[in-house]
Amino acid sequence: MSRRAPGPGRLLVYALVAFVMLVYISPYAYMMLTSLKPPEDALAIPPHILPRQLSLDSYTRFTSDAEVPRSFLNSFIIALMSTTLAVALALPAAWAISRYGSWPARVFLLVTLVTRMIPYIAIAIPFFALMRSFRLTDTWLAVALAHVTISLPLAIWLLAGFLEAIPSELEDAARVDGCSRLAALLRVVVPVAAGGIVVTAIFCFLASWNEFLYALLLTSVEAKTAPIVIAGFKSQYSLNWGSMTAVGTLYSLPVIVFSLFMQRRIVAGMTMGAVKG
Amino acid sequence: MSRSDRRYVLLLLAPAAVFLLVFVAWPLLNLFRDSLYEVALLKPGERAFVGLDNFQRALTSSRVGGAALRTLGYTAIALSAEFTLGFVAALLFNSLGRRSELLRTIFLFPLMIPPIVAGLLWRFLLIDNFGIVNHILQQLGLLASTSDVAWLGDRDIVLFSVALPDIWLTTSFVTLVLFTGLQNIPVSLLEAARIDGADALQLFRHVTLPLLRPVIAVVLIIRGIDAARAFDIIWVQTEGGPRFASEVLSMHIYRTMIRYGDLGFASAIATLFLLALLALSLLAFFVIWRPDAARGSA
Repeated sequence: MSRRAPGPGRLLVYALVAFVMLVYISPYAYMMLTSLKPPEDALAIPPHILPRQLSLDSYTRFTSDAEVPRSFLNSFIIALMSTTLAVALALPAAWAISRYGSWPARVFLLVTLVTRMIPYIAIAIPFFALMRSFRLTDTWLAVALAHVTISLPLAIWLLAGFLEAIPSELEDAARVDGCSRLAALLRVVVPVAAGGIVVTAIFCFLASWNEFLYALLLTSVEAKTAPIVIAGFKSQYSLNWGSMTAVGTLYSLPVIVFSLFMQRRIVAGMTMGAVKG
Repeated sequence: MSRSDRRYVLLLLAPAAVFLLVFVAWPLLNLFRDSLYEVALLKPGERAFVGLDNFQRALTSSRVGGAALRTLGYTAIALSAEFTLGFVAALLFNSLGRRSELLRTIFLFPLMIPPIVAGLLWRFLLIDNFGIVNHILQQLGLLASTSDVAWLGDRDIVLFSVALPDIWLTTSFVTLVLFTGLQNIPVSLLEAARIDGADALQLFRHVTLPLLRPVIAVVLIIRGIDAARAFDIIWVQTEGGPRFASEVLSMHIYRTMIRYGDLGFASAIATLFLLALLALSLLAFFVIWRPDAARGSA
C-alpha cells in the first residue's frame, strides 16, 4: 500500500507537515539569525528576518564578561555531578525492581512515581533552609543535590525499563562462573545495559542543565548556573536582546546537535515509560 | 524468594532510599512543620507555634485563590493546546509511517531547549513595537499597527501568551509518545475492522482511541503535572505581571518566601499546593486510565 504513487490526499498531508515544521522551527531559527546581527539591529523597527550585515558582536560582547563563561562551567560541573550521583544511586535500585520485583521494590517504584507529582517549590523551600544549615548555599554540591531530587526518580523509572529487557539467566550464568551477585551486576549486567544507561544519563544531564528554580534559590555569586545569568540579562543590561539571542543559542545548540545524533535512543527513553502500558 | 534474596534487594534499594529520605522526605517534613509556625526566613530559630492559622490565611486570601485559579487556567490552556496539536501531528506522522522519521527527528529539537531560553525568546518575539510576531501580523493585514496587541502587557490575554513557549516546547513530547502508541496498535486489528466495513472515523473512534487510552492518560497526567508546577518559563516572561495577571501558585509561594520572607505562610501554601496536585493526579490516573477498561489492550 505504501508503494502507490502519492495521491492528492498524501500530498496534502506532506504540505501540512511541511507547514507545521516551518512554523515549529522558525522561532529558533530567528533567534540564531538575530544573534548574528549587529546587537543594535535586534531592536530595529521594523524588524528584519535575515541579517543585513553579519556580526559576531553579540557573542564577543558577553565573552569578555567573565560571568558568562564561568556560569557555563558551573552548569556543566553541576550537571556532571548530579548525573553521576543519580545514575549511581538509581542503577542498583532499578536492578532490584526489574530483576527481583518483590514488594519492597514495587513500593519503592510507586514512591518514585509519587515523588514526580510533588511541586518543585514544595521541596525547594525547605531544601533551601536545609542547605543553609549545612552552610552549603552557593556551592556546586547544593545545586547538584537539589537536581538529583529531580533526576533520581526519572533515572530509576527509565533504568528499570531498560534493565527489564535483560534476561535473568545472564546474572545466573555469571554467578555459576563464581561471581558474587554484586560483581555480576557490575561486570555483566552494566556492560549489556550500557545503551540504556547512556540514555538515562542524557536525561539526567538535561534535567540539570535546563533547571532554573533550585539554582535561583540556592546560588548567589559563586555557583550561579547559566540559566540564572541568562535570565538576569534582561534587567542587568536593560533588555539586551542581542546578547540574549547569542547566549541562548550557545547554551542550547550543542545540546540540540548532540541529541539529534542520539535521537533514536532518546525517543526510546522518552516514550518507554508512557507506552509500556 | 529466599531470605538472602530479600536482604540483597533491600541492600540494592538502600542507597537511593537513603537519598530520598534525607533530601526529599526530610525537607517535606520540615515544610509541614514550618507551615504550623510563624517563622521568618532570615530567623528560623525564632518561631511561634500558630496551629492552622497559616492555612486559614491561605484559604481565605484572595491573592492565593487568584494564583490557584490562574494555575488551573494556565494548565488547561497549555494542556489542551499541546494535546490537540500533538495529537494532530502524531496522526499526520502516523499516516506517513516510516517515511516520517526525518521529520520526527526535526520535531524533537525543542525538547532540548532550556525553558528559560524559550521563555526569553518568545518574550522577544512578542514585543509589541519591534517584535517579529506583531510585524508579521501587520504585514498580513491582521493588525493595523504593531502596537495594537500587547501580548505580555494586556491582563486579559497574558495567561494565553505566556503559555506559548510551553506549548512550543512540549507539543513534541505529546506527539512522540502518541505516535509510538499509534505505531504499537496491531495492523491486523485495523485491517479486521476495515474488512468489517468500518470507515475512517469509526475506525478512529472504536479501535484507535480505546487502544490509545492508557497512553493518552499518561501523557495528560505527566504534562498536566508539569504545567501546574511551571515557574521558570513564565517567570522570565512576566515575573507574574502585569499586576499579578500571570502569577501562578509556584511563583506566589516563591515571592511569599523570598520577597516577604514569610517562611511559615509560604510553607502552608506549598503544603496545600502539594496535596491538591497529588489528589488531582491520582484522581486523573484512576478516572482517565481506568485500568480495568484498558486491561489487555496496551
